[in-house]
Amino acid sequence: MPGTADEQSVSVRVMVNDRAHQLDVDAGEVLLGTLRDRLGLTGPKEACGEGECGACTVLVDGGPVASCILAAGSTNGRVVRTVEGLAGTDELTTLQQAFVRHAAVQCGYCTPGVLMVLTALLDDVPEPTETDVRRALAGNICRCTGYQQIVEAALEAAGTVQS
Amino acid sequence: MRFCRVRSVAEAVDELSRWGTEGRILAGGTDVMPQYLRDEQSPAALIDISGIDGLQGISEVGGVTSVGALVTLRRLATASLIAMRHPALAQAAAAVGGWQTQTVATLGGNVCSGAPWADTVPALLIADAQMMLVSKSGRRRMNLGEFLEGAGATALRPTELLRAVELEPVGDRSAEGYVKVGRRSAMDLAAVGLALRLSLTPTGVVSDIRIAVCGGTRSPHRVPSVESAVVGSQLDDGRLDWAAAGAELASAAAPERTEAARYRRQVLPGLLSRLADRCVAGIPGECG
Repeated sequence: MPGTADEQSVSVRVMVNDRAHQLDVDAGEVLLGTLRDRLGLTGPKEACGEGECGACTVLVDGGPVASCILAAGSTNGRVVRTVEGLAGTDELTTLQQAFVRHAAVQCGYCTPGVLMVLTALLDDVPEPTETDVRRALAGNICRCTGYQQIVEAALEAAGTVQS
Repeated sequence: MRFCRVRSVAEAVDELSRWGTEGRILAGGTDVMPQYLRDEQSPAALIDISGIDGLQGISEVGGVTSVGALVTLRRLATASLIAMRHPALAQAAAAVGGWQTQTVATLGGNVCSGAPWADTVPALLIADAQMMLVSKSGRRRMNLGEFLEGAGATALRPTELLRAVELEPVGDRSAEGYVKVGRRSAMDLAAVGLALRLSLTPTGVVSDIRIAVCGGTRSPHRVPSVESAVVGSQLDDGRLDWAAAGAELASAAAPERTEAARYRRQVLPGLLSRLADRCVAGIPGECG
């Protein structure tokens, strides 16, 4: 039934990092705000606030999206994963471990978004080339590393190159 | 502002007719949400159509490809049917923004934004795209060239929804492609985008050529003066001299007296000959 949303707010059922949530979000609210302010998931970062830099990247139904411009209301029935949802309680993913080994993190602000894009890439393309990795990272801005360590870490995690 | 989630085309056109110019269609939201967040748009209602299953399909029936308005750019860039039958569209979709944008941005949004730099539009224009529109008062179809009405403007009525785009697939002795130049090779709007579909006879005569550009100040558009000058030309040793066509393309597609247009005039001839050589090489037979 159309138009059942209350003035200024809309009900959303969304799965975030394997936990089901039922939330009332504002009509103009973006997913990044929902994650950080309502659910306390501060891994995704706000930087540009207009979908240009990738710091806010999370996975929605497995695909990377800029959560700073995604309407929270349109995530109804969807599955969201943030950087907090990657590791288990005491073990990092292969990709995260490779980031540590290659010092692919400097200031760290872009890292949660970069990890999510590369997680999607490794799910999609089992043996990515360096070009695949760099193309996947086109929407993620990192001003510290020059990307080289990030690319090396991704290739090692994919098993494309030996550590 | 209200958030109206609709589940079917019937619900969508009901809401559109209720809200009229006060409503804004929300699909992927990669244009709508930044505009709202910057206070450039303040609609009374966002009408969220992203959950309508009936607008998500890609199919080919009777020699016509139908692409639902909600098909994402990522799907266009990776779907095998699009790669085979509409390679220019696959290349154009892959040229929009980064992966994050392509995951949610839709074909319908890219076209209905009316943006002069919309990468998919030249690829649709060379496939003679028909816009399949629906409103409470019925359905209509419209040629894409007529649908586009200048920068940011289209013939889409406030109460109307784009259902699908119908396309003519590339033929056996045809090839097509899309190339784009921006200030950087990813995550930038097209300064110039060029789509080309080229068809050859077995003896190497250009039997059909369709050229469309984006990135200027007006809507993406076909360039008929270049098409009619090239059709009927005979390839010489698998090549065509594209110099005259390139010069005509530059002046027809970027006539403005601005530095940006001067840049496009310098870039277009090279893009045309490179893309044309790629197309010729992609057509089987002794002509290539």
